[in-house]
Amino acid sequence: MTALQAFWGYYVRWSAKWPGAAALLSFLPLILLWAFIVWLEIFPRVFLPGPLEVLGKAWELLYKGILLDYLGDSVVRLSVGAAAGMALAIPLGILIGLNKRAYEVSWPVLLFFQAIGDIAWLPILLIWFGFGLTTMTFVIVYTVLFPVVLNTVLGIRSVKPELVRAAQSLGASRPRILFEVILPGALPNIITGLRNGLGYGWRALIAAEIIVGTSGIGFLMFDARRAGSVEEIVVGMIVLGLLWYIVDSWILAPVERATGQRWGLVTS
Amino acid sequence: MKSVVLEQLSKTYFDPYRGSQVTAVRDLSLTIDEGDFVAVVGPSGCGKTTVLNMIAGFVPKTSGRILLSGTEVKGPGPDRGVVFQSFALFPWKTVRQNVAFGPKMRGVGKAERNRIADEYLAMAGLSHAADRYPSELSGGMQQRVGVVRALANNPDVLLMDEPFASVDAQTRMTLQEELTRIWEERRPTVVFITHDVAEAVFLANKVVVLAQGRLLAEVEVPLERPRSWDRLVQDETFKELSNRVLQLVRSA
Repeated sequence: MTALQAFWGYYVRWSAKWPGAAALLSFLPLILLWAFIVWLEIFPRVFLPGPLEVLGKAWELLYKGILLDYLGDSVVRLSVGAAAGMALAIPLGILIGLNKRAYEVSWPVLLFFQAIGDIAWLPILLIWFGFGLTTMTFVIVYTVLFPVVLNTVLGIRSVKPELVRAAQSLGASRPRILFEVILPGALPNIITGLRNGLGYGWRALIAAEIIVGTSGIGFLMFDARRAGSVEEIVVGMIVLGLLWYIVDSWILAPVERATGQRWGLVTS
Repeated sequence: MKSVVLEQLSKTYFDPYRGSQVTAVRDLSLTIDEGDFVAVVGPSGCGKTTVLNMIAGFVPKTSGRILLSGTEVKGPGPDRGVVFQSFALFPWKTVRQNVAFGPKMRGVGKAERNRIADEYLAMAGLSHAADRYPSELSGGMQQRVGVVRALANNPDVLLMDEPFASVDAQTRMTLQEELTRIWEERRPTVVFITHDVAEAVFLANKVVVLAQGRLLAEVEVPLERPRSWDRLVQDETFKELSNRVLQLVRSA
C-alpha cells in the first residue's frame, strides 16, 4: 500500500512538473489497444498498420522534410485566415452587441449563415475562385468569423448593467466604459468564441486542403490515399490531433486562466 | 455637498405583458438638505429603487423635477456616488484599481490615484486586500470596497440601494456602524434605500416611508450620535421609532 502511495505521490509531482508528458501518458492504453488489435491480425497489415510502422513513416516524412513543410503550410494558412477572421469578427461583434436594433436584425442572419458550415461553401467557392488559396482562405475566415461574432455579441450583452451604471456614476465616458467595462466583461466569451472558431477553422482547413490543396496536412493525407499508404494517412491524423492539443493547452488555456478564471467569472 | 430636491416626481412605464401603463412613482415631493442622512423605506414594489435610479440618472423620469443644489439632473454623473446591492465591483480589477477607478476617470495620475485608493482602503481596514480580486473577498469585504469606491470619488451625494441586504447579519451591523462613523466625519448627503426598518432608523436623521409610489410619511429620528447597536437595541426612543415606522410600512 505504501509503495503504491509512494508511486502515486511521485506520479502526481511528476505530472504537475511535466503536464505535457502526463497528457501523452493518457494515450498509452489507446496505443496498446491499437498494437494489440494489429497483433491479432484480424485486418491485413496494409489496411491497418501498427504504431511502430506509423512512427517509422512519420520519421521518414520528417527526414524528407515533407512533414514540416506541409505542417508549416497548414499552420500559416490557419493563422492568416484566423487572424483575418478575428479582425473582422471582434469589431463586428462589438457593434452588434452594443446596439439592440442591430442585434435584433442581425442575429437570425448570423445563425443562418453559421449553419451553412465551412465545406458546404466549397462547391460554390470552387466555381467562383477555382482551386487555390483564395478558396481556402475564404473557408477559414468564414468558419472563424461566425463563432467569434456570435460569442462576442453574447459576451457584450451579458455584461451586468450595474457594472455599466457603476462606471457611469464614477464619471466614465462612453469610450472609457467600452474599454474598461464592456470589453473586459465580454472577454471570457470572446475567448470561447476564438476557441470554437479555431477548432472549426482547423477542421475546415483540412477539408479544404483535401479538395483544393497542393500542399498541407490535408493534402498529404489525400495524396497518400492515391499512393495507398495507410501509414501516411494515420501520421496525418495524429499530427492533426497533436497540433490542436498544443494550440489549446499552450495558448488558449493559459489565456483563459489569466483572465476569466482569475477574475472569478468562469469556474475552472 | 449638495441638497437633493424632488418636485412632483413621477415615473410611469409601459408593461408590454400587461399591455398597460404602470405607475412606479407618483407625484413625489421631497427635500433632502445638504449633509443630511435620509433613509427611504417601504414594501417591495413601492418604487423606492426607482426613485434612487432616477436621482442617479440611470432611469429617465416621466415628469417632475430632480434638483441637485438647484441644478436639474440629466443622466448619471460623478457628483452622485452609487453603492449597489450587488456590489457591482469590476471583477477584472483589483480592489485598489476598483477604488482608484473614479479618480482615474477624472484624469488623476497613477501614483496619485493609487495613493488616494490606499488611503481609503486603510480607512475601511482593507489595506491587506488591496491587490486581491473582488471574487476572492467575502460579501462584507466586497461591499466595504463598494462604499469606499464611491467615497474615493468625493461625491456630493451618496446614493445607496439596499447596500447591506446581501451580507450576513453580524457583518451588516458592523457595516452600519462604520457607515454612521464615516458620515459623521465627512457629512456627505446620503439617500439610503432599504426595506429593513431597524436599519433605516439606526442610520438616518429622517426616515421616508413610501407606499405604492407615493410619499406616506416622514419620520424624524432625533437619536444622538455616535450610534452603536450595543446601546440602541435597549434604547426606548429607538424601539418606539422603529415600531412607528414598522406600523407605517405594514399599513401601506
